[in-house]
Amino acid sequence: MTNVLLFIALSLAAYLGFVLLALGQARHWRAASEAAAPGRIGKLALRIAGGVSLSLALCLALFRDGPSFGALLWTTVISVAALVVALTLSWRPRLLRPLAALVCLLRPDGTQEKEGNNR
Amino acid sequence: MGSTFRESMAWLHTWAGVTLGALLFAIFWMGTLSVFDREIDRWMMPDTRLAASPTALSLDRLVDGVQTLVPADASRWQAALPTAREPLVQLRYADPDRQPVTRHLDPASGTVLPDQGTLAGTRFIFPFHYNLHLGWRQLGYWLVGLAAMAMLALLVSGVVIHRKIFADFFTFRWARKLPRSSLDLHNLTGVLGLPFHFVMTLSGLIIFFAIYFPNVIESVYREDVAAFAREAYGLFQREPAGQPGSLASLDAMAVAATRIWGGDPPYSVRVWHPGDANSTIEMRRTVARSVDMNVDTVHFDAASGAVLRTHTAPPVVHVQRFISGIHFIQFDHWPLRWLYFVLGLSGCVMIATGYIYWLETRRKRHAAQGLPGVRIVEGLTVGGVTGIIIATLAFFVSNRLLPLGAAFAGYERAALEVWVFYLVWLVTFAHAWARPGRAWRGQCWTIAALAVLAPVLNWATTGDHLIKTVLDGYWPVAGMDLLLLFGAAIAATTAWRLHRRGAMAAERTERHVLKAAD
Repeated sequence: MTNVLLFIALSLAAYLGFVLLALGQARHWRAASEAAAPGRIGKLALRIAGGVSLSLALCLALFRDGPSFGALLWTTVISVAALVVALTLSWRPRLLRPLAALVCLLRPDGTQEKEGNNR
Repeated sequence: MGSTFRESMAWLHTWAGVTLGALLFAIFWMGTLSVFDREIDRWMMPDTRLAASPTALSLDRLVDGVQTLVPADASRWQAALPTAREPLVQLRYADPDRQPVTRHLDPASGTVLPDQGTLAGTRFIFPFHYNLHLGWRQLGYWLVGLAAMAMLALLVSGVVIHRKIFADFFTFRWARKLPRSSLDLHNLTGVLGLPFHFVMTLSGLIIFFAIYFPNVIESVYREDVAAFAREAYGLFQREPAGQPGSLASLDAMAVAATRIWGGDPPYSVRVWHPGDANSTIEMRRTVARSVDMNVDTVHFDAASGAVLRTHTAPPVVHVQRFISGIHFIQFDHWPLRWLYFVLGLSGCVMIATGYIYWLETRRKRHAAQGLPGVRIVEGLTVGGVTGIIIATLAFFVSNRLLPLGAAFAGYERAALEVWVFYLVWLVTFAHAWARPGRAWRGQCWTIAALAVLAPVLNWATTGDHLIKTVLDGYWPVAGMDLLLLFGAAIAATTAWRLHRRGAMAAERTERHVLKAAD
């Protein structure tokens, strides 16, 4: 049971990681949300968050299966997760709207971030 | 060839892809199916759909059954022991004419199961993946090796010629025109699946290093090439004494081997020179529990049961077997098995969309200039993509239609199934070249029809219908039926869309003609 939960958790972490990376690209942000696309710092933050989520997936995979199975599991899961993200973005981008809204909420000024605001 | 590096890489990518794509698709398709080879075996060999035996198998009792089958003067016999995916004993030996024989035994009763007359997944689909069943001078291995080298070049050149790898990382503009959407899908499956495709292709070459680079072994083991097999894989033989000998308890030997391997059981037992005073027993350690496909072996003296020799892989072999293990996926890991299957399919999509992009970007120009290229390659694509899928389904369907023990024109049942596969595949190529433009649609409908027919025939001939197998939790057969139906749904949807698009295009031309007439 723990194994199943860990697998679901690491798959979700991989999926979320790529969604965050994709939202850091203006084209995909616009497909998912009507709010203004994040600026330079917002993009950077999204990419870092995406990287952290993918690393979390790696930690979960290594914890679940040990070094050799874990590394293999992570490499294959992230490939499939990235494909699913790409299909989500092209077929059902609106599914990502709540996540984009959450990202907007976490912005320092709550609405739109302009270049240089946080310098 | 082009003047810049990128242009010459584009030239390489295009030509290698167009010429070898159909072969690569066949290898990818059979490799993807091989992930579930044991499950395909259960589906194609109904008498082997056994429940996992509740009691541990007794090797000593098994020997009694084996001795009635194996000829008295046989130099060896080998039994692959039951596993979770293969709940039976697979016995291999040579008949009096020295022809190899494979028989299945029920581990619970020790009885021999009737010959299923099929090569099924492990003996047709899996070997097709690496040698195309072209045994002559190892031609098949070399063709697959050539395709694998080309695949590596295609992957690298594909990355070089991709203009916006990171900007287009997640981009799939599926609603755009065919050249755009097929190129997006080609890039997507190529880039996102790159780690898997690269590792699988490279490891595939490394598995057969002894075929592709035989001189490596010859140059190191100049005097004694057989020493390589002894040192790397623990090959060990004793000359037969010519005197009758006895056989100690195999079960006790299995217990001893399990203790040596820290709790891992043997997966195979081989008896060398059975009945001879110098007979030896070779037990090999299970490979189901780690990525690394170990070559751990224990040899016993048959009469006393004493350990003669233990073998474990030296470092370089260990690395080679780890890389092989990633490719062979003989370990028990269901999430990885499914991930391999999905990524294998993504490789098939990559090859097919590469072809479609090539065709759609040249169709008008070739038509205008009267070039035959598009027509030839389109036939190759249709036969290579939908054709091999139809041939595989025909292989499954013929398996359920031919009665056990069927023979025709001197061919036994197993060979007839293979004939059906190749003949149907040939017909799909002929159809693709004879009916350009309509072949995709027709072959998609054929896939849908065959993929529905196969589970229905499975139900009619074995009684194992989907509701029963799902309720019983018998997943090898239920999974196969479900995947067939899922594939049928995809093929039917595709065929329907192609049909509608064709109808819309016809209507447009008609309107144009009417307008022009006005």
